[in-house]
Amino acid sequence: MSATTVEDLPGLNCGLCGVRTCAELAARLPTQPGLLARCIHLSDEGVAAEGTGPAIPVVRRPIPLPQAGMPRASWTDTLGREFDFYLEHFPEDPGPREIILPHNPMLTRELDVQVGEVLIGRPLGMSCGCPITHCGVAVDVDKRNGVIVWCVTGPLNPRQKGYKDLGYYIAEGYEGLITESRTDPKIGMRYYFQPRMCMLQWRHSGLVNYLNRVPQGWQVRLEGLWIG
Amino acid sequence: MRLIYFDHSATTPLDPRVRAAMEPLLADVFGNPSSLHTAGREARAAVDRARSQVAELLHAGPGEIVFVAGGTEADNLAIIGALSASGPPSGHLVVSAIEHPAVLATCEHLRRSGVAVTEVPPDADGILDPAAVAEAIRPDTRLISVMAANNVVGTLQPIAAIGAIARGHGVLFHTDAVQALGKVPIDVSTMHIDLLSMSAHKLHGPKGIGALFVRKGVALAPIVHGGGQERGLRSATENVAGIAGFGCAAAIASDGMASEATRLVALRDRILDTLASALPHAYLIGHRYKRLPGHICLGIAGYEGETIKLLLALDEAGIAVSTGSACSAHHAGEPSSILLAMGFDPIRARGSLRITLGRFNTDAEVDRFLELLPRAVAALRPLAHQAQLERSLC
Repeated sequence: MSATTVEDLPGLNCGLCGVRTCAELAARLPTQPGLLARCIHLSDEGVAAEGTGPAIPVVRRPIPLPQAGMPRASWTDTLGREFDFYLEHFPEDPGPREIILPHNPMLTRELDVQVGEVLIGRPLGMSCGCPITHCGVAVDVDKRNGVIVWCVTGPLNPRQKGYKDLGYYIAEGYEGLITESRTDPKIGMRYYFQPRMCMLQWRHSGLVNYLNRVPQGWQVRLEGLWIG
Repeated sequence: MRLIYFDHSATTPLDPRVRAAMEPLLADVFGNPSSLHTAGREARAAVDRARSQVAELLHAGPGEIVFVAGGTEADNLAIIGALSASGPPSGHLVVSAIEHPAVLATCEHLRRSGVAVTEVPPDADGILDPAAVAEAIRPDTRLISVMAANNVVGTLQPIAAIGAIARGHGVLFHTDAVQALGKVPIDVSTMHIDLLSMSAHKLHGPKGIGALFVRKGVALAPIVHGGGQERGLRSATENVAGIAGFGCAAAIASDGMASEATRLVALRDRILDTLASALPHAYLIGHRYKRLPGHICLGIAGYEGETIKLLLALDEAGIAVSTGSACSAHHAGEPSSILLAMGFDPIRARGSLRITLGRFNTDAEVDRFLELLPRAVAALRPLAHQAQLERSLC
């Protein structure tokens, strides 16, 4: 459909397209064909292609995760336990992004932790109970409540650059990408998952409380973490 | 600090011209329109004048307008009245899943009396497919009720197409036009509308007054019984000042509808275009163009759980917006049933910010809002890290 004359337009002069009259709209169509998509009275069919498209994204209901890439996943950890998806870190981050809280939250202030500093500590007890001491780089620090967001890196950083020792911390949440999954993740559900960079390749479990469709798969945040 | 009011879908400020029209009826012209003496006849004349003004906005006849207390009562009268016209409520009713609670709660009430109700969901843009409405019609369907414009998302529904379907099937068609009235052209004849609900306070008129258009020949049972005012459909002494105010508000809206729509669309588009760069993780909910001229329903990725804080921060800065529908503000912890019906997950469904512009909003107010909103968002704590949010909208 290519309405270009005033006869093709509804003639209601409603102004809802942003142009005062249908005649004025028709006069502008030869140079601005995208305006036609703004007429609320015309069908979308054949009109959308001529539209300039919105600058602000219009978000529709989430689309299901494509199941591509699944064959290379085994879906069991090193202890033979099943899990639902791999958690990858954001490509621009130096490592997996964790939200952590020192066992004494005041430590964040006492150590004067700054963004970019190298930290070490072990996720003690509840929330993970991992036997491995982790090293990472702080990317966000909230001194009001002690919460630190860091990206876990290898031990090379602290050796080369020095570090601040948190001692023990609680892993409060993970953020990352799901690019391989054998299920459609749903917000509010608890899943077994495998952090791709976990040294022990043990499955973890956590509650999905943020989920967003992205070109690589899903952007996800998991809280209420446990190992196993 | 002067309030910047961007919540016109909740209610609108009284137009000074409307107030002027009402004032004599609150003072000197105090008669009961049913009285035969001069004072009564003056009041009756004011009611009749307003009836014509409201009818003109719909291209209806004055005898087809029944004044009631507001949009909710109009919806109740239309739905209960239509299904009770020939005895106890019975049959089948088709409604959209995104109706105002005034319709959905009325349907729930009728369900308990044995009426079957089918709710038709909208598409992802928040718009009903007329074909889906047609498919829901059964041999015992007596009424279809679909709103003209949604109160939360602002999307315009294809009521002319649905009206034609209803007429073709011999089913009555009711539309709740509370949000659309005075902003979008409505012609009850060409749109095949049998019943249409209105409320004055959404178009710069007073609160406490509304009306129901009842097409001539449509049988309706009253839900308020008494002295037989309003052709027996709504007993009670008329709210004369409110009715006069409604009439004046309708006349003002009718006169300047197209130019006002053009102005509001320009303001709306400026907000959306600016936010596209100032808040790259913001997204529009509902169809980009098939929406009320001044209506924006905004989500901010990663901040959906924080919109109440955003509303309060803006309020502190002197800007009134709302989250979802004002009518459900007491249930702010619950996700919007409308966004759930559109397919949003529960977190996103509770995270919409409704910005609705109106007659007295100015360019300068929009500038102030565009300056403050990104700042208010930056002061919040997103659920997911901000650096990653922009990727989600690819």
